[in-house]
Amino acid sequence: MAEPSEWTGTIGRVVLGATRGEGGTRSVQYCIGGSRDLPFLPDEVPCGKRPLIAFEICDDPALWPPVVREQVGDLAGDPAAWAREAEKAYGADLVRLHLTSTHRRQVADLEGVKRTVESVLAATTLPLIIEGSGDPAIDSDVFQRCGEAGAGERLLLGTAEADRYRSIAAAALAYGHAVIAQSPIDINLAKQLNILLREIGVPADRIVIDPYTGALGYGFEYSYSVMERIRFAALKGDADLAMPVLSAAPDSLTVREVRDAAPAERQERALSWEFHAAFPAAVAGADIVCVRHPLSVKRVRDACSALSAGLKGTPAQGGG
Amino acid sequence: MTDIRIAVQNGREELERGMHTLSGALQHPETAYHLPIAFALTGIAVHDADGARDAYAKAGSHPLVAAECLRAARIAGQGPDPPPYTGFVPDTVIRKLGYTLVDGSILGLALLTGTPDSPDAAAAIARELQEKYMLTFLAGPVVPILQKAGVKVGLDYRLVPLGSTPDAGVHFADILARVAMMFGGVSPGDAGRLVAYAKERARAFVVVFPGLAATDVAATDSLRDLGIPILTAGGYEGGDWIAVSSGQAVTRGMELRQIRVKVTAIPIPMACSPAFEGKSIRKEEMHVEFGGGRSPAFELLRMRPAGGVKDGLIRLIGPDAGEMKPGSAVPLGILVEVAGARMRKDFEPVLERKIHNFVNYGEGTWHVAQRNLIWVRLAKDAVAKGLRMEHLGTLIQAKFRIDFPDLLDAVQVTLITDREKVLAAEKEAEAVYRERDERVMGMKDGDVDTFYSCILCQTFAPNHVCVITPQRPALCGAISWLDGKIAYEIAPAGANQPVAKGRTIDAQRGEFEGVNEFVRKASHGEVSRCALYGIMEYPMTCCGCFECVAAVLPEVNGIMVVNREYAGDTPMGMTFSTLAGTIGGGAQTPGFAGISKGYILSERFLQAEGGIGRLVWMPRILKEELGDRLNTRLTTLGIPELLGKIADEETAPTLEQLIEFLTRREHPALSMSPLV
Repeated sequence: MAEPSEWTGTIGRVVLGATRGEGGTRSVQYCIGGSRDLPFLPDEVPCGKRPLIAFEICDDPALWPPVVREQVGDLAGDPAAWAREAEKAYGADLVRLHLTSTHRRQVADLEGVKRTVESVLAATTLPLIIEGSGDPAIDSDVFQRCGEAGAGERLLLGTAEADRYRSIAAAALAYGHAVIAQSPIDINLAKQLNILLREIGVPADRIVIDPYTGALGYGFEYSYSVMERIRFAALKGDADLAMPVLSAAPDSLTVREVRDAAPAERQERALSWEFHAAFPAAVAGADIVCVRHPLSVKRVRDACSALSAGLKGTPAQGGG
Repeated sequence: MTDIRIAVQNGREELERGMHTLSGALQHPETAYHLPIAFALTGIAVHDADGARDAYAKAGSHPLVAAECLRAARIAGQGPDPPPYTGFVPDTVIRKLGYTLVDGSILGLALLTGTPDSPDAAAAIARELQEKYMLTFLAGPVVPILQKAGVKVGLDYRLVPLGSTPDAGVHFADILARVAMMFGGVSPGDAGRLVAYAKERARAFVVVFPGLAATDVAATDSLRDLGIPILTAGGYEGGDWIAVSSGQAVTRGMELRQIRVKVTAIPIPMACSPAFEGKSIRKEEMHVEFGGGRSPAFELLRMRPAGGVKDGLIRLIGPDAGEMKPGSAVPLGILVEVAGARMRKDFEPVLERKIHNFVNYGEGTWHVAQRNLIWVRLAKDAVAKGLRMEHLGTLIQAKFRIDFPDLLDAVQVTLITDREKVLAAEKEAEAVYRERDERVMGMKDGDVDTFYSCILCQTFAPNHVCVITPQRPALCGAISWLDGKIAYEIAPAGANQPVAKGRTIDAQRGEFEGVNEFVRKASHGEVSRCALYGIMEYPMTCCGCFECVAAVLPEVNGIMVVNREYAGDTPMGMTFSTLAGTIGGGAQTPGFAGISKGYILSERFLQAEGGIGRLVWMPRILKEELGDRLNTRLTTLGIPELLGKIADEETAPTLEQLIEFLTRREHPALSMSPLV
């Protein structure tokens, strides 16, 4: 691999969350990106802590993994309380709210969606990722409301795709947020989407790449190598790929191996499955990794800390 | 009749005088942008008359700044207009409006101002704007006139009444200025960026009805500085406004700003999706067929001038599907006529090939081949459900409009099923085909300074970069230089990008500085040199889609070509698939190249190695497929006898037999300069 000095590019920086001083109400602001080398190498120097761990919650748990519902009980029906728990009890860096209620047919209560976002913003002081509409037909309404509800908070809004990015771009531009740009495990489509976003007016420092992450045994290795390739391209000077990366492997907790596990082993199996996509994603360079199992937050964090500590000369502890 | 030039001059003077006598506080409610036009143009936050005069001076006495200040003064003095008039629109509403513009739920902005002579004509314009997803602002007497004609106004109706007098029209500009600052990252005071943003992004135009006062003419006219065209259907003369008939105002305005309405659903009684592309319609399932050697049939796409095509017009000349005898072969002519500001004659054949895909998208329609070789079938089921010839036309028309929104403004389709008329039209089509062939054949690499790349295959061959030139089609055979060019124009961020040829490093092997530079970047630094006309040194990388493999046979000092369809062994002792596996995946393998069949006939074929004279072996089916074209090519070169000297799997299945065959036939490769 090239010597650090041979890299010509730097990963761009994206700022998430606004504190009172910046016109928002968050208790912390994160800077992600900024690296000039491969992840976890001594010369990497990201602009903030890496990876950030985002805990995912939703506003309609019907489609949420049963292993998580089992763990969190009634919280699953109360996004605000769940978000608070993610901050206070699980120790997450970010909360990622999936508006799963918009996946139902004929969503009528768009104002309800806005109230949910407001209640989660009130319940936690962490920067938020809001994962919007489940239906292109209501994208425009949903993103407009999410954007407005979080105006000034520098949210990260998800998810823009090649044939579906205008509403989310509009919400980001109108209300000062950043966007997640997702492509289906394809470096060129990732680049193309970033160019499309640029052309519509979204600046590069408001874009986070989601290269799409498959669960372990369900395509994770493809995701790993595309993350690697995006990193190489960025470090070699391709500005259209030099954005921080977010990785989420949402299927980890619902794969057959977890579903079919003996009840006594199921939680540990789930945790392990999620860990083995989240941790290697961090190793591949993801700036934000997303998890759904409450116990995953600490497990992923400990593993990454051990890796960093090892780099600083202390022998690495067995993570996980 | 108002003379625009005179009115503009008088209006500017009057605005100037107004600015001198201006006094008092000037401010709009609920905005962070002060007086937005002044703020955007000059960066000065105007709150009173003196500030207004500073901004006016700094903006070079721009009429819009004066109009804005005077309007603010007027509101301060007289109070805002009563509802339904909005007056100055607050920032929160602009954010929502801007959102819908970026989001695409509204396509553009229009301003209607003045006093329409005909309420009905004005109402028709307003309704057409509504139907075409435009957000329209209204200023002055046009508002009550529209209301009287039964048109509802209000933000919910996308018809926003700004004020009861035409001077309220200046809010249109303050809205644009704020959209530019909110969404376009234009900083206050950066007039250059504001103008650039308005010209490129703000898809806006104005329609002026008669009766504007000189000051309003001057202010409206200066909207042209922001790239906004001013259209008028009467009442004005002598300036740079565009005269139109009132029925044409909206269409013309949208054309000028390149605003296009998206077609979404195709109104035909059968499903239509790429999912059906691969289906076939067997004889038993067929209602009628066209062409395929059973009846005369052809297709032709022509470009026409803007006025010559009526978008959506579908014509049928001859009997309809219901009247055709089941199971019969019927003559067919498909004539597609297109117009578009960015359309070019060169694109005709590329677009014409899309007819094949589009017809196959229909669940009950099937299409193969091209030009006057087409073969089309309609399914019994589909005709029973009401499919008629016009629907075939609608399908083709709509798909062209959906797939090429930026290229085509209007598409019309004529279907001919009358035998005599098909035969007559086919003659004309043949002349066009000939002319095209001559044009494409005539295109040389030396005539252009730009090639096109293709990185479509990087999904599985991560560092592969195809460079497509007029004389070297993509190695898959599917994309010619023209295709690459048009693909780039249609999708500027897509897989086909222009490659500037740059300085020539080696003309013989086709190595160019610009190409090398492009390939180095696009291959993520893996490949730094690429010779387009050879296979020995720095050949192009191979993905996996190549039609043929060209490979050096050092023992005979020649090169063999084997195509994908040929399953047998080659004199190298390797089959096509073994070879393909060895050289594919984005690697550069000297001595081997993935090529298209078409490239074999190119003047540039193996130029670095001495040309087609190096070709010593290819499978019989490939020889047969190239047939006449290869013959013609060799005759042109003055070496028609070469064909008989190229071996195949029957005359030389092994290397030993190949050596023997070539020696016996005195193949020129044997005496050419050594390859290795």
